[in-house]
Amino acid sequence: MATNIPGNLKYTKEHEWTLIEGDTVTIGITDFAQSALGDIVFLEVPEVGTHLNAGATFGVVESIKSVSDLYSPVTGEVVARNSDLEGSPEKINEDAYGSWLIKVKANNTSEFNNLLSAEQYQEFCNSSH
Amino acid sequence: MTTLKTYLYDEHLKLGAKIVPFAGWDMPVQYTSVKDEVLAVRQNVGVFDVSHMGEFFVEGEDAEQFVDAVLTNDIINAPVAKAVYSPLCRDNGTVIDDLIVYKLAPGRIMICVNASNTDKDFNWIKSKHVGYKCSLTNRSNDFSLLAIQGPKTYETLLPLFSELPDIEYYSVYETTFEGESVIAARTGYTGEDGFEIFGRHETIKALWQKLISLRVTPCGLAARDVLRLEVGYPLYGHEINDETTPYDAGLGWAVKHSKTKFIGKEALADKKANYKTIKLILEKGIPREGYPVLNSANEPIGIITSGTMSVVLNKGIAMARIQIDKVPSDEVALVDIRQKPYPAQITKKPFVTGGHK
Repeated sequence: MATNIPGNLKYTKEHEWTLIEGDTVTIGITDFAQSALGDIVFLEVPEVGTHLNAGATFGVVESIKSVSDLYSPVTGEVVARNSDLEGSPEKINEDAYGSWLIKVKANNTSEFNNLLSAEQYQEFCNSSH
Repeated sequence: MTTLKTYLYDEHLKLGAKIVPFAGWDMPVQYTSVKDEVLAVRQNVGVFDVSHMGEFFVEGEDAEQFVDAVLTNDIINAPVAKAVYSPLCRDNGTVIDDLIVYKLAPGRIMICVNASNTDKDFNWIKSKHVGYKCSLTNRSNDFSLLAIQGPKTYETLLPLFSELPDIEYYSVYETTFEGESVIAARTGYTGEDGFEIFGRHETIKALWQKLISLRVTPCGLAARDVLRLEVGYPLYGHEINDETTPYDAGLGWAVKHSKTKFIGKEALADKKANYKTIKLILEKGIPREGYPVLNSANEPIGIITSGTMSVVLNKGIAMARIQIDKVPSDEVALVDIRQKPYPAQITKKPFVTGGHK
């Protein structure tokens, strides 16, 4: 079902996308995730300066009927959060890849090797549904 | 356990519905967007397949007497063609289910029950069916059921039936659709005007297809839950359950002690409640089932039984079960959302005023 998976991004099995620029990782949720969630109505992401551990939850995204945890793909520090989404989280439904949530400065760029390529993520979506 | 499918299952797939297991059934939870489906019902007209619900028939000269003796609400004195909401209780006063009784004709009653409770209800009622001159049959498998809800329901349905009088809210009329008999009830679970149409599977499938062709919005269980919560209707398994009495759930109005007998009468005689079911509205944060409710001194006082984002208000709304001795007097409470307290206002009125007659 998942068709919109840009080739220039890396992905997680928790349906997050990442854009890697040097040691900075921009994080969002995939088009597959926004579609599965439905109308997104609430977003909770950490403040700038918060330390995140790879694999740990760092926030939540809520649709009208559901709550989903967000998992950090890397260990590092939050260096930015997308203020455009405050008050209008529905923008994620409209443009999942244009609606980044946070940017994280990674402590250890070798963690990037754990991320999935677009092909691997497509395969993961196909196999789990 | 294999799940059951309604007769309209393939119709839902054709419309791209997301299907989820609910009460042993594979049911459409949403088609396009919960928000669009809720707004269709508030402003226009939507249709729900609720064929998973159960239908029992009680027929014979003692039908009214029997049903009246089993349920807490007054069935005998309700006129023919009326619908009556009632809890169904155990001898100890706890609630087995909440249901609607349809007085189709003298000596002919249909009871519509929650899908998850169909067998439990039928076995209980059957066990009390001793010495009455009436039959009791579970006809849940014979019927499909559509709920057509929203301000434009009547004008949409009127041309489709042989006749459909503008009957009162909570009343019922037997008519035909394409020559096939159906039961049309002016009931629903959204707070809006609407009808629920009971009929044979093929008949209801044809009605569904007709309504979809007329661009009536198909709506799923998610929208249904938001709609009922916005108008403050309780849901079995949430506000009401096997451990609560009608008084705990704010349903004391549907317990008629003036009746000489009904199941649970003695146990409910003191009208005492252990809990109060309250409504909460939040400026920020979305309350969800199971979240703790605290008073302004941060002490736990109860639990959220249902919560959602209101589509109409764009605010978090919830119903909560509060220990009766801990109901805040200041109309303010806190909801513990992920270990953070979010202020909530206690409100007596429904969150949204539906447009039903």
